Amino acid sequence: MTDLSAYPHVARVTDVFSTAFPYFKGTIDRQRETFGTNWLEHFEREMTVMFGADWSRFDNAVTGYGRFALDSMKLQKLFDKTRQYVNKTYAEAASEVYQNRTYMFDLYLPGILLSHFLWRHHYMQHLFYVKEFLPRVRAHGGDLFYDVGVGTGFYSKEMLRATPGMRGQGFDLSPFSLEFTGNTLTSFGLRDRYTLNKRDIIKDPVSPPAPFVVSIEVLEHLEDPQSFLNALSRMLAPGGFGLISAALTAPNADHIYLYNEPGDVIEQIEKAGFKVVDFVHDAAYEPRRPTDSVPRNLAVIVTH
Amino acid sequence: MGKASPEQERKIIEMITPVFRSVFEDDKLVVNRTLNANMVAEWDSLNHITLVVELEQLTGTQFTSDELASMADVGGLIDCLAGKGVAA
Repeated sequence: MTDLSAYPHVARVTDVFSTAFPYFKGTIDRQRETFGTNWLEHFEREMTVMFGADWSRFDNAVTGYGRFALDSMKLQKLFDKTRQYVNKTYAEAASEVYQNRTYMFDLYLPGILLSHFLWRHHYMQHLFYVKEFLPRVRAHGGDLFYDVGVGTGFYSKEMLRATPGMRGQGFDLSPFSLEFTGNTLTSFGLRDRYTLNKRDIIKDPVSPPAPFVVSIEVLEHLEDPQSFLNALSRMLAPGGFGLISAALTAPNADHIYLYNEPGDVIEQIEKAGFKVVDFVHDAAYEPRRPTDSVPRNLAVIVTH
Repeated sequence: MGKASPEQERKIIEMITPVFRSVFEDDKLVVNRTLNANMVAEWDSLNHITLVVELEQLTGTQFTSDELASMADVGGLIDCLAGKGVAA
């Protein structure tokens, strides 16, 4: 078992799990074994910046993660039988999730935030972003990026932190995602280089094109991801780079467009006019039985 | 969520024990109110969800997010099922 005495926030996660979600035992050890001490230090450092010694708020976030993960896993089990997402319109998902302040702040956003560290495929995606995408950004030298579908602000934060001269603009339809992202960036002292926009990029196109675009796990939330990708493509300047990712066979409460294979996503990306530079495809865990579905994601570096 | 009566608890434990034994592949597993995942090596998150779904099917009930989060041990599960009128 990992010695967590030097990692109080990570230790607190195991405490909350042990009391409220004992079946999540092994999560920390598994991630530590997979990603090493760097992961442990990264997780602790980020949680320290975001939560400090506000243990009550941190406990609530961990509990929110637990509830979020349980909901997702139960939906995964049902998905094994139907191989379909629950039939839902974007408007229904928005009402249930994105425009629901309690759900967003108590469960969804803390869940997404902690999943960046606690889910193998999410941390793999982060590593791909840091190791493969950000070096291209630095080499390019541009100083503006658009993040469409900001979520918790995790990836905008990484971009701003990695490139000191960079400015960013975040777009989302959920006021709560925008608020959470603002708080994230404030915690890291990055807020002054970033603008938040409640804006639909399809109905209200963004210009001028930027040298970089980022859109992390947005496509599966949309009824018509192709229209979204077309609009995103117009936001990327020639010679620039984008990182687009999508969740596959991952039936969260607000996932309405089902991607079964990486090729489903890549086909739409290329149809939107992007050229694929590189990609990574990972699963959350190994299936227990060959017939079990597993949440996966695909992250694609694109250019024009 | 109230606490199950002793009679309800006895009936529910009798009902759910075969499911626990099947999911955790342990024919001798003793199911009681204090049993939790810390006491059963095989009780991880994937088996937990299998358990939940099979118990929903067995009892004809559906657990909400709040209810799922309240099941840190078998006691929470028993009280939840009792609250839904199982073995009433």
